[in-house]
Amino acid sequence: MDDQTRQATRLWTLAQPAVSAFIMSVVRDFRDRDDVLQDVAVAVIESFDRWDSERPFVAWAIGVARNQVGLYLRRRRRDQRVLEFDPQTMDSLEIAFADEVADQSLRLDFLHECLKSLEGRARTMCELRYQQDLKPAAIAESIGMTANSVAKSLQRIRDQLRECIDQKAMAEGVLS
Amino acid sequence: MSTDGGSLMDGYLDDVLTPEQHQKLSAWINASPENARTFAAAAMLHDRMRNELILSGERQGVSPPSALVNSRRADALPLAFQTTTMHRHRTVRSLVALLSTVSLIGVAVVLFWQSFGDNPASAAVYELERLIATNANTMDRTYRISVEETVVSSRVHGRRTPEDDRPPKAPLDDAMLYVRDGRQFVLERSTENGLFVTGSNGKVSWAVRPDGPVRYSTDLSQFNRDLPGHEHEMPLVNIHDGLERLHLAYDVRLLPLEDSGGAEPATRLLVAVRHRKERGPKRVEISYQVASGLIRQMRFIEMPYGPDLLTLRLTLLSEASLNERFFDHESHHEANRRVEAE
Repeated sequence: MDDQTRQATRLWTLAQPAVSAFIMSVVRDFRDRDDVLQDVAVAVIESFDRWDSERPFVAWAIGVARNQVGLYLRRRRRDQRVLEFDPQTMDSLEIAFADEVADQSLRLDFLHECLKSLEGRARTMCELRYQQDLKPAAIAESIGMTANSVAKSLQRIRDQLRECIDQKAMAEGVLS
Repeated sequence: MSTDGGSLMDGYLDDVLTPEQHQKLSAWINASPENARTFAAAAMLHDRMRNELILSGERQGVSPPSALVNSRRADALPLAFQTTTMHRHRTVRSLVALLSTVSLIGVAVVLFWQSFGDNPASAAVYELERLIATNANTMDRTYRISVEETVVSSRVHGRRTPEDDRPPKAPLDDAMLYVRDGRQFVLERSTENGLFVTGSNGKVSWAVRPDGPVRYSTDLSQFNRDLPGHEHEMPLVNIHDGLERLHLAYDVRLLPLEDSGGAEPATRLLVAVRHRKERGPKRVEISYQVASGLIRQMRFIEMPYGPDLLTLRLTLLSEASLNERFFDHESHHEANRRVEAE
């Protein structure tokens, strides 16, 4: 592997959590997100020599991702109406994701442990949502709840996980 | 975060918002950079939950959706990438370019998924990557070397080594080390007879003893033997390469933030312990500023140095630019000194 490839690989590895989440913030279907992320990886590597090393790599990679997301949305608009953020919101999000990547990457390492504390229906709901890519209405059908209750429960679960992550991060000194 | 903002974010991520609620969320994100960062943090949690739960499902034998398998598996990705790319561009690429790109994707994906797996040291690896990137710049640096302990390795007792035929080394403790771009260095050590200076300007290496002729050689390794680390790829003159070495041959761990009482920028310690069959210092401790990634001090425990094992500290004193010719031997002796080539 040559130096440029090594550098690209390293930088991409660091940037990928933010790029992936940025795509997810627009492309909410998990499988579509995977496809767009793959396209972004290819685009980043193909245009790596155009990256200005004076500029943060994460911000540049998110810019590449924004272009790919735009292509995805154009394709989707032909088939159905999609909710999209306006350009001003996308500008704000581009900056926010680049700012958050370092801090969140450290904190989210505690998620693995926190997920172990999920049991019963909470665990089932998360598995249906994240493993099977089901939306609240479909989850509600599977477990005999209303869609609204499922959506509220998922929100509570994520709040609990956030709290657990913060506690662990604080204990380990990751949170300053 | 406001309750409204929180429920709108969650509703958005679960795809249950109405167009009106979507507009409200958009306005909330635009209301302040703090809100935008809160949204980014929520999206990163959501994204990571998906990765973690998919991995957890795989361990339990749950099959993820088939399209996901194709895009996640590193061994499947190159084929998928090749097809997509060839179709998209409809151009013939060189085989080398294709293979290098494919291998990069594979490596990147493997690293990515490794970073989200069970590895408890991933935060430390992330920090090490950040330190490598931060310390890749070429500014001049000045360090002080402090030797804490010197022990003779038991495995070399009674055996002759090449070091036995060389004159004793000048003491390293309290030596000053000046480095530039990972190739040029000046090492100043105090002896009873005066300053003993060795160095290299990247073209020749040289030694200026307190007495006798100045010696230089086009063999750049000729006068770097007194600098610990060069023989096991952890040269003190090149912190960047040393950090790379940690990546390959050491287990790294991040310790909690050190309490500076608010007077100094927050620092933390990254500890690297050598793998059993690797060479080099047994343990390396890196103290760095959290915000900037600036390494203030590196401590090398049981670092091989000729027949000895040293425990030493390398403390950053300055990042000020040094004179352009500082790394030439002429900058370190009188003009009338005799100079001999080796």
